[in-house]
Amino acid sequence: MTGLAAAGDVLVGTPLQTTDWAFVWQNRGYLLQGATITIVLTVASILLGFLVGFPAGAIEHYGDGPLRSLVRGAGVVLRGTPILVIMIFAYFVLPLDWAFVLPVGDAFQAAVVALGLRSAAYQSQIFRGALGSIDAGQLEAARAVGFSRVGAIWNVAVPQALRRSVPGFQNEFTIVLKDTSIAFAIGLGELLKRSYDLMVSQTTAALELFLAISLVYFVLTFTTNRALDILSTRFAIPGGDD
Amino acid sequence: MSHQPPLLELRDVHKSFDNEEVLKGIDMSIERGDVEVLVGPSGSGKSTLLRCINRLTEIDRGQILLDGEDVAGPDVDVNELRQQVGMVFQDINLFAHLTARDNVTLGLRKVKGLDTEAARARAEDELRRVGLADQADSYPAQLSGGQKQRVGIARALAMDPKLLMFDEPTSALDPELSSSVLEVMEELVAEGMTMLVVTHEMRFARGAADRISFLDNGRIVERGPPAQLFETPEHERTRSFFESIASEA
Repeated sequence: MTGLAAAGDVLVGTPLQTTDWAFVWQNRGYLLQGATITIVLTVASILLGFLVGFPAGAIEHYGDGPLRSLVRGAGVVLRGTPILVIMIFAYFVLPLDWAFVLPVGDAFQAAVVALGLRSAAYQSQIFRGALGSIDAGQLEAARAVGFSRVGAIWNVAVPQALRRSVPGFQNEFTIVLKDTSIAFAIGLGELLKRSYDLMVSQTTAALELFLAISLVYFVLTFTTNRALDILSTRFAIPGGDD
Repeated sequence: MSHQPPLLELRDVHKSFDNEEVLKGIDMSIERGDVEVLVGPSGSGKSTLLRCINRLTEIDRGQILLDGEDVAGPDVDVNELRQQVGMVFQDINLFAHLTARDNVTLGLRKVKGLDTEAARARAEDELRRVGLADQADSYPAQLSGGQKQRVGIARALAMDPKLLMFDEPTSALDPELSSSVLEVMEELVAEGMTMLVVTHEMRFARGAADRISFLDNGRIVERGPPAQLFETPEHERTRSFFESIASEA
């Protein structure tokens, strides 16, 4: 761990200093709070993305008329705009003040809205594709026993489409988790912002700080992906898709 | 004696897709307990005719009466109607994510509103009826084609239909797998189920049908008891069709 420091002479900015690792360790509590904000932000954004993106995907696949055009249009705009622009827009332009509902700050709310809606635009495509891959004959068979169209979609297509969405969802989860770091731009004290602030107070610790938080990001993406793998296996249809 | 209307009556039924008329005025009536087999070359309108009866397809002109009631009447709930007219598909179309049992219980619970226990008991009865009591926990991908189609029949039977329609139920199956499905169908015939069957299985048609209708190009060319159509058809077109079927088999 001491690396180059073992060579003897200590230069400011030399990587991997024992003292700099000690600085990271001293501030572990502060960084872990940042990691907690990152996790909560990810979960909230993914949840918003799911709640908006799933119906949006269903409307794109099954819907028609102006509603579908509207949903498609919104998706194209959100997918075509950089997340940084969406986030700055959400923070500085949208009049967000939900603090009376949730005791969280404006920056957090703006970050959830930005990441959540952008994620919805991508999640809608995951679900649209998955719903489209379900054989229409199954829906017709459900109609033939007396299900309404919505009942057939809900009871037959949705449970199968959710299973088929897991791989796409794993990517999306990873992307959202990593992109929470962009909330740095609107001053939200998530993991990256906190490590940056620490670096400003001890510039020699830059490498150590960013290595440490990279490890945190990696552990988070790795564990959630593994968890989704397990979920996918757990809910796999015995014998595979028919 | 009181006069009962036929269970199913078709009056001058017309249907077009993209300016191509696939049903050109079909008249037919089926009494309770009758077994009607529809035969005809592909594209003759057989499947469309079935799909019009449970309104998976809407007709353009004419009338379809189930138990004397217009299936397209203003007071008819199409989802109610479909419970009364069971359908078994060529592509089987089992719900891939559900066990054989739950393929049957889904409609019982969510459409008929039975509680879990009652639905389960009913499903197991129906699976026993088609010889699959021991496969209740199997998923579609774990069943053979013939077993899957029998689950499809159980699923339709569970809704207590007045009429059961089969759309080429064995066409997607290997011949050795078809026989189990045909046996179940023959049992239903023996039980007195009213059935409308599109099939190329001439042995079934000859043995089980009260009447056979030969459809060609959107019209019923000839209709009558099996012996008449097989042995003394009135029309040359009917004769040549049955000959071509016989030479294939």
